[in-house]
Amino acid sequence: MLMQLTLGGLSQGMIYALIALSLTVVYRSTTVVNFGHGDFVMAGAFVSYVLVVLAGVAFLPAAALSMIAMFVLGVLFNRGLVRPIQGGPHIGLALMCIAAGYVLRGIARMVWGREVLPMPAVFDMQPIFIGNLVITGDAVFIIGTVLVLLVLFFGLMAMTDLGKMVQAVYQSPRGARLIGLNVDRFNDFSWGIGAALGALGGILVAPVSLLHPDLGASFLIKGFAAMTLGGFGSLGGAVLGGVLLGIAEQYAGAYLDSALIEITAYLVIVAVLFIRPQGLFGRKAVVKV
Amino acid sequence: MSQTMPTAKQRRLRSLLFWAVPALLLLLPFATNPYTQFIANGMLISALVTLGFTLVIGNLGQLAFANTAFFGIGAYGSAILAAKLGLPWLLTIPLAGALGALGGFLASAAALRGIRSYYLAIITLAFGELMRWGYLHAKPLTGGTDGMPMPPETLFGTSFSSDTLKFYVFLAVTVLLVKATLNLMRSRFGRAVMAVRENEVATASLAIPTSRVILVTFMWSGFVVGCAGALFSRHVGYVFPESFGMLHLIASFAMVLVGGLGSVLGAVLGAVLLTALPEYLRAFPGMEELFFGLIVAAVLVLMPMGLASLLRRLSPIFVERFYREAP
Repeated sequence: MLMQLTLGGLSQGMIYALIALSLTVVYRSTTVVNFGHGDFVMAGAFVSYVLVVLAGVAFLPAAALSMIAMFVLGVLFNRGLVRPIQGGPHIGLALMCIAAGYVLRGIARMVWGREVLPMPAVFDMQPIFIGNLVITGDAVFIIGTVLVLLVLFFGLMAMTDLGKMVQAVYQSPRGARLIGLNVDRFNDFSWGIGAALGALGGILVAPVSLLHPDLGASFLIKGFAAMTLGGFGSLGGAVLGGVLLGIAEQYAGAYLDSALIEITAYLVIVAVLFIRPQGLFGRKAVVKV
Repeated sequence: MSQTMPTAKQRRLRSLLFWAVPALLLLLPFATNPYTQFIANGMLISALVTLGFTLVIGNLGQLAFANTAFFGIGAYGSAILAAKLGLPWLLTIPLAGALGALGGFLASAAALRGIRSYYLAIITLAFGELMRWGYLHAKPLTGGTDGMPMPPETLFGTSFSSDTLKFYVFLAVTVLLVKATLNLMRSRFGRAVMAVRENEVATASLAIPTSRVILVTFMWSGFVVGCAGALFSRHVGYVFPESFGMLHLIASFAMVLVGGLGSVLGAVLGAVLLTALPEYLRAFPGMEELFFGLIVAAVLVLMPMGLASLLRRLSPIFVERFYREAP
């Protein structure tokens, strides 16, 4: 039982980790928290749905195309709508992101209405039985994909100058500009990567859940909870926070009350911010006057 | 502030104008059909919701999204007090306001713990969703997903199902709260609110109790929106958890921004302009979200200070003391 819950939590948590990571990528380079990110996740899932079900593309190329499409959308959003108000207060940026999210959601709802769409299963694998533990193909697929991606991501950050560039822009955009970094292009790139990684989160959950235009809202909160738990702005913290949140949800649902699954993330947010606002690995988050 | 302040004569004109508008509105029910009357009633409620919202995000400059929570608390509070305890609905309005203020107190507790900016936004979003979860799961009290109906009631022999009667009550509450908020924001306290937004540390160093300023602003915002919630429960006659979700939030954002952040007049204007349109869009799924999303994005880029800034340029009559020229 415990093992089974942990596995289920791990596979959910991997999705949360991916979403929290993609939020953090954007946050670290631009200091913008994308409050519309949930809808980017939803949009990624829908683009891959259209490609797979309506256009008949195989799953993997469809996933890749969808990520590319979302990368482009992220870049365009940054250039067209975020950059013009970048110097303004946080409120404007937060509202802009929310607005973009609603536009995406509105488009999805215009096309699909209140329908709930099933995505065909990708991985038709027989479940593996180890003792009482049932390992489904979907769990293997999700955990495997995200793990590969995380290794790739953190490998790139550690091995190449990319990691240093991210750090430089995070610490001081002006300083980064002074040493010759093209910060604007870097921000474009971060928005693109953030959107594409978020889209992948949507693509991975699509086969195990149902698609609907409101899919994103809950993932946004899960992403925030994971970020808050791991420490806002910490890349590794986001991943760990996501995994812990996924497992915590399963435990709370099984041992306490199944209705708690939906609100575990909210409770985590409230508890972390009141008890240890900097999360596990974050910087100081509290303003003292 | 580069703006010229209104002269004494203009101030008198302004106060005349302020009372002329509700006086004229008293005649409105004679010029409407039941449907437009219903929409006009909705506008008054939106005006209060937007007003409460703009106080926190515009005047106080805090990224707090607990507005929807206050609204739901007010609506459910009023419905529960009326249906379960049998209180007359009119009496539940200030009580719902008090419950909203309690919500404001909770939200400000986060702000006062030093949780600010994005953290405050996230924790207040979580607060709203937790409340919605509560409405869904506290079935005996709230009716769960089915929602709960408002008990029928009469006033001076007229049933409260009459939209005309509702209109007069709504109008009285709205005018009262708008006037009270205008006065509050023109007072020493209002200046302190603006000072906190501009620079909290500097404000504290002037011996202004910034914590208390934040606390009171949140609570007043909660009170105004809680009252609006009580009006809403009577307006629709039925309270559902769905009314207090994310769509309500983006609509409020759009109203605040179109009117102009931190402007009382703008809040009312934005609410009046944007309440009617979704009624026509509702037939097309997704259009509401698309519409509000596009409006918010467009206003942010093209007219960040909203309609109120245009009016201020037109005449000093429209200058409220508290606004910010550049975002």
